Amino acid sequence: MPEILRVNGVSKHFGGLMAVNDVSFTINAGETLGLMGPNGAGKTTLVNLITGKYIADSGDIQFMGHDITKMAPYKRCKLGISRTYQIPRPFPELTALMSVAVSALYGKDRVNQGLEDAATEATHYLEFCGLFSKRNVLGKDLTLYELRGLELARALATTPKVIFVDEVMAGLNPGEAMKAVRLLERAKEEFGVTILWIEHVMAALMKAAQRVVVLHYGKKIAEGPPQDIANDPYVIECYLGSCHA
Amino acid sequence: MELEIKREKIVLRAGTQKFEWHIEPRYWRNPFIYIGILLLATVLVYFFSPQTLPTLVDANLLAAIAIPLGWMTVGTGRMNFGPQFYIGAGGYAAALCSIHLGWPPAVTLLVTLVVGLMFGLLMSPLSIIAGGLYYTLLTLLFPLVFLEITFIYTDIFKGDTGLSGISPFLSGGSYTTNQLMICLLSLFIMLLYMFIVDKIMRSKFSASLAAINDDEEVAEAMGVNVKKIKVISFAIPAMMIAVIGWFYAHYYTTFSGISYLPLTFMLKVLMVSMIGGRVQIYGNVVGGYFIAFLELFLISVVGDMATVLFPVILLVLLLSLPEGLFGLYRKRRYREYLPTLHVRR
Ligand SMILES: Nc1ncnc2c1ncn2[C@@H]1O[C@H](COP(=O)(O)OP(=O)(O)OP(=O)(O)O)[C@@H](O)[C@H]1O
Ligand SMILES: [Mg+2]
Repeated sequence: MPEILRVNGVSKHFGGLMAVNDVSFTINAGETLGLMGPNGAGKTTLVNLITGKYIADSGDIQFMGHDITKMAPYKRCKLGISRTYQIPRPFPELTALMSVAVSALYGKDRVNQGLEDAATEATHYLEFCGLFSKRNVLGKDLTLYELRGLELARALATTPKVIFVDEVMAGLNPGEAMKAVRLLERAKEEFGVTILWIEHVMAALMKAAQRVVVLHYGKKIAEGPPQDIANDPYVIECYLGSCHA
Repeated sequence: MELEIKREKIVLRAGTQKFEWHIEPRYWRNPFIYIGILLLATVLVYFFSPQTLPTLVDANLLAAIAIPLGWMTVGTGRMNFGPQFYIGAGGYAAALCSIHLGWPPAVTLLVTLVVGLMFGLLMSPLSIIAGGLYYTLLTLLFPLVFLEITFIYTDIFKGDTGLSGISPFLSGGSYTTNQLMICLLSLFIMLLYMFIVDKIMRSKFSASLAAINDDEEVAEAMGVNVKKIKVISFAIPAMMIAVIGWFYAHYYTTFSGISYLPLTFMLKVLMVSMIGGRVQIYGNVVGGYFIAFLELFLISVVGDMATVLFPVILLVLLLSLPEGLFGLYRKRRYREYLPTLHVRR
């Protein structure tokens, strides 16, 4: 599998806190890479570095032959990087349809696309995420489960190569969580996207991911197939909270 | 560049971009009715109460300030509290060119456009750097600083008394007929602004404006070039507002910063936006007329106390009508930045 994204010794600190500390890994095209770690491990910060919300203090990030370490977020999006948010961030005053249409319009520089073309395209992604009937509901009026779907629809509408999924199961009941996970699997099949999937729940990643990276206090402490990770005594120790990285 | 005229729309293709302009006569009825009412009102006032024409001019101009301000508010995701800065810039540019160079209004308009755009571009980074309270304070401060400058460089700006001897729009002819013409010109400017901003709010550009207004960071993550759009949405409305300064200068043939730059003037504009609903283009027209006539009424009843009453009224409005007077009327509908797609059944 060809490598699509390479993170090289990336660090980021907030004041005295090293949120991400010299982390390196690669993502291969077509895989699902799991990213685990206890609360505050730096998972979201790492995604923010790759998608451009923050600029890394040191290290570099390569995406399909482009050095994107300091690139503006919107340019990274146009290259094919998209994300969802841990706490959903819908456009509160926009209808579901228009929120997705924004991504369809601006996610790539498309030839000859008008607002209506974008809206038509957006319905496809809404339908895929099971939100077609909610297309005219404002972002602020959607439930958490629907918002997760909307976030995914919005990310898919930019036609990305890689999606960074920041926790799909958190806050959902088991039935909804199951559906959300299945939706992600279907997205992968249908749109052929590569996924980096952050999750607290180990069990979910065990099934879905081909490889897992584990962060702890901003450091990468393990990487490998899920079974190995699950049996790694050091990782287990960290999850129980008794290790000191 | 390729222009294609279809039955219901004009399609313009330039490079890889496509712009669609819907021409749907079945949606033309209401705009025509509203324009008709405004024209009729102007003509009726001309015949029955010509001394009220200046109030109509005021109303049109207030609306014409609030309309681009609405675009600026959405497109930068922030409320600019100092649009009168551009009125000052445009007005002084027009006045100085008219007085010292003897240029007619048509030429000073070009100067005003350039000056307005220049100041807009110069100040647009503010909407990228500053946010929240800082943006509010800074935008509030600029007109006041400008006012100070007009006092410091009194030999240029003539401080308190203001510049006089600006060439009028029309010279000769009967006074009331000139007033009517000027009133119609102000109405034209207002309608033109409404047309421009309405078109923008219905174009695909509006999707990015609405996204920025809701959540800049997410908009940028979804591929919107936030900085570019903010600069455009700051500079062009600033230019449009500067034109109102040009109008004031040639309308009164005198121009002094003290009439427009202080907060009292801003308060009126703010109230127009409040009554109209924050980004309701059509609401601004209602707001403009409401405020202009309210001022006329208050001044005739309480005189100078009007300036004190205005903030009180604003406060009441803020508390009681968060969506504006016009918002009340369409309360049961979503605030539409974008047209809902109409599907023919
Ligand atoms: N903007 C910021 N300013 C200061 N500190 C921050 C900022 N963002 C994150 N941090 C800190 O960096 C550390 C890593 O945060 P991050 O959100 O990346 O963790 P996480 O692994 O996503 O945790 P969770 O599982 O709770 O989502 C935390 O200690 C957090 O408090
Ligand atoms: Mg997180």
